[in-house]
Amino acid sequence: MVDKNDIQEYIKHLPPTPEILNQTLLYLNTNDLTKAAQTAKKDRALSSYIKSLVNKPIYGFKSEITNIAQAFSILGIGLAKQSLYNYSLSLLLPDRWRVFTLNKALFYDLQASLSIGWHKILQYLDVDDSDIETAIILAPASVIICESLFQDHIQEVNLLKSSHNLSYNEILYRLTSLDLFDISAQIAKIWGMSKASQELIIAFKKASAQPQINILAKWMYLLLFFEFSKSDFVEAGLNDFIEFKPDFVSDIYEEFAKLMDIT
Amino acid sequence: MRAVIKNNIGIFTPQGFLDGNNTQAFFTLDDIKATEHLKVEMLLVSLKKVIFFNKNGIDTFVQFLLKMRLKNHVIIGFCDYDDKKYIAINSFYQDKLTFSLFKTFEIASLFCSSFNAKTKTVLLYHEDPSQRSAMAIELFERGYNPIISQTEDDFKQKQKNDAKYDFIIEDTYLNILGQRIATKVKGNAIIYTISGFLDAEIIENFDITYHNSSLHVGFRLFIFDAYKVISINIHALRFFTKLSTSAAEYDAVICFAGMSFEKTPIKFQEELEDSGILFFDSIDIALKENQEVVKLSRSTVSKSAKRSLSRVVVQRLPEFINAVITTVEMMTNIKAVKKSANIQPITIDKHEGELLSSSIGFYGAVDGILVLVFPINLAKKSCELLIGENTDNVDDILDALAEFVNIIGGRIKTLLRDYDLDIDITLPRTYANITNLKSAVENKKGVQVDLSFENSDFIFFLTR
Repeated sequence: MVDKNDIQEYIKHLPPTPEILNQTLLYLNTNDLTKAAQTAKKDRALSSYIKSLVNKPIYGFKSEITNIAQAFSILGIGLAKQSLYNYSLSLLLPDRWRVFTLNKALFYDLQASLSIGWHKILQYLDVDDSDIETAIILAPASVIICESLFQDHIQEVNLLKSSHNLSYNEILYRLTSLDLFDISAQIAKIWGMSKASQELIIAFKKASAQPQINILAKWMYLLLFFEFSKSDFVEAGLNDFIEFKPDFVSDIYEEFAKLMDIT
Repeated sequence: MRAVIKNNIGIFTPQGFLDGNNTQAFFTLDDIKATEHLKVEMLLVSLKKVIFFNKNGIDTFVQFLLKMRLKNHVIIGFCDYDDKKYIAINSFYQDKLTFSLFKTFEIASLFCSSFNAKTKTVLLYHEDPSQRSAMAIELFERGYNPIISQTEDDFKQKQKNDAKYDFIIEDTYLNILGQRIATKVKGNAIIYTISGFLDAEIIENFDITYHNSSLHVGFRLFIFDAYKVISINIHALRFFTKLSTSAAEYDAVICFAGMSFEKTPIKFQEELEDSGILFFDSIDIALKENQEVVKLSRSTVSKSAKRSLSRVVVQRLPEFINAVITTVEMMTNIKAVKKSANIQPITIDKHEGELLSSSIGFYGAVDGILVLVFPINLAKKSCELLIGENTDNVDDILDALAEFVNIIGGRIKTLLRDYDLDIDITLPRTYANITNLKSAVENKKGVQVDLSFENSDFIFFLTR
């Protein structure tokens, strides 16, 4: 079915991030929002993506955001960087979804919900780090990877899942000794994302040497399942794409439930 | 969401958060249909991977399960929860539970006829004396040794010596209603569990198509586990005599184990014996006698041996073979090479001890038996993905091979549905001993396809 070669091929054929996007990121890394906006504006697809993203109801802005400069200044460095990486991710979207019943609009909704949820969590935890803020994009990245790797084997995988309670992630790991988080971390590295981002996604399964990364990993993991439990994403088949381990997050659950108003 | 079958229990494992807004999304119409067709004793929802639920969330699952119980007479409930979840569910329903609660899947398995851990000691406690008794009776009748704690203090005290008990049951609630006749396979025998007052309803609750297909597949011994039968009336008597007569055509034997005739006229026993039904004190004794029964049946050419594959099955043969090949390829990541295809009785060149095998029957619009013969190394490799590790334990490999052939049965079912052919599949059988396999399909002509996976010879054999 899927083997290590398929993964290597997949990573090898990832499209490079557009040059304008790289330049915009450089300006954002030096806190120069104005130059970042001016650069981003040159790529119409990028600026259109960011405008449509920030105008989603979940961002809660009262009036329509009509230009990139306005969008960046409202978003701030962290969310602006995140939106750029989310755009990179949108370039990897498959033409046709077969494993998950997703579409572009629903995937963008997932990105937006995760971004806003993660921003809320970081504010609550008093973490002001744009590298950490961008790390959340790796969660939906793993959905795209899963779709791409399994879409030609959907029948076999479904049969396997029907006989054994295995998640896509577990099937991939058993086949290749690599899981979706390993691959997401590799993509993060290729895209020049911070080491902290890579460590955070790996900390879902293997504790990091840095205690703060482990705590953040728990919050991100729980946020991921909170979103995957929403009816649209359950219907899309995302609920069981990775295995949920309640024990991993039991110590932060009460705080999370309070923050997210879960009753 | 689809149920995964284990120990004759269908288990759903939702993850994350369950509330009134999302739980409907877990079941599509196809999922509901697929669940209706499951042949299981229990349908459970595992809460192991659920971190939050509310009343509305649980209620959606309850309504779904109740519909399934109405249709299929299965035991329904929830399992794999902690104290907090148990208290929450009880508070939602305020002592009006219409389903069972099993603290763990293992505890649920104790109340399922296919779980084989008899003669084990079980410590149990429930604050409600009637629940304590109900559980103890059910366990005792299944051959366990239940120890009941009458008070919580006593239970806690006994729990300290947990090494004395094979299983400890707490936070469990039994609501066993509407059970249909449960089926399990033990060795070469099919065991049906019957209980209570047997009347005309048995005709409805007994899956005659499944029984007939099991005869076709090669099962020759059928034991009715009748420990819990209180009495039999004339309608049930006629049903059993008819069943025995039709079984005789296949040289098959029908037995009753543990049946007491205290409340049933003794002449009924004579009539049943006259029709060929044998009576034994226990299943174990019936199984011991089975060795002879199986030998006898093997020496006789049954009518089923002369049946040939139907035209529809032959037409779909390439797809059948493809289903097997792609599944083995998926499990092993090894490409198949087709060596030969012939119509013949099964021919196996390799020696005993080098091969393992599994088979599954299908019946309905078309019927047949699919046999797969694996070299041990390929069997291990094929099952690694299911087991999750490399193992040399033959029992584990055989269990996984049973699941493996079940997957293929599922594929064939889907494949035939595309041609408007509805079939059901039997329980899978496995053979550690190739002589037994040969006996089961001897004199049967079929399509044998020899394949090779990295020089490991693999046999696909389809017969009827």
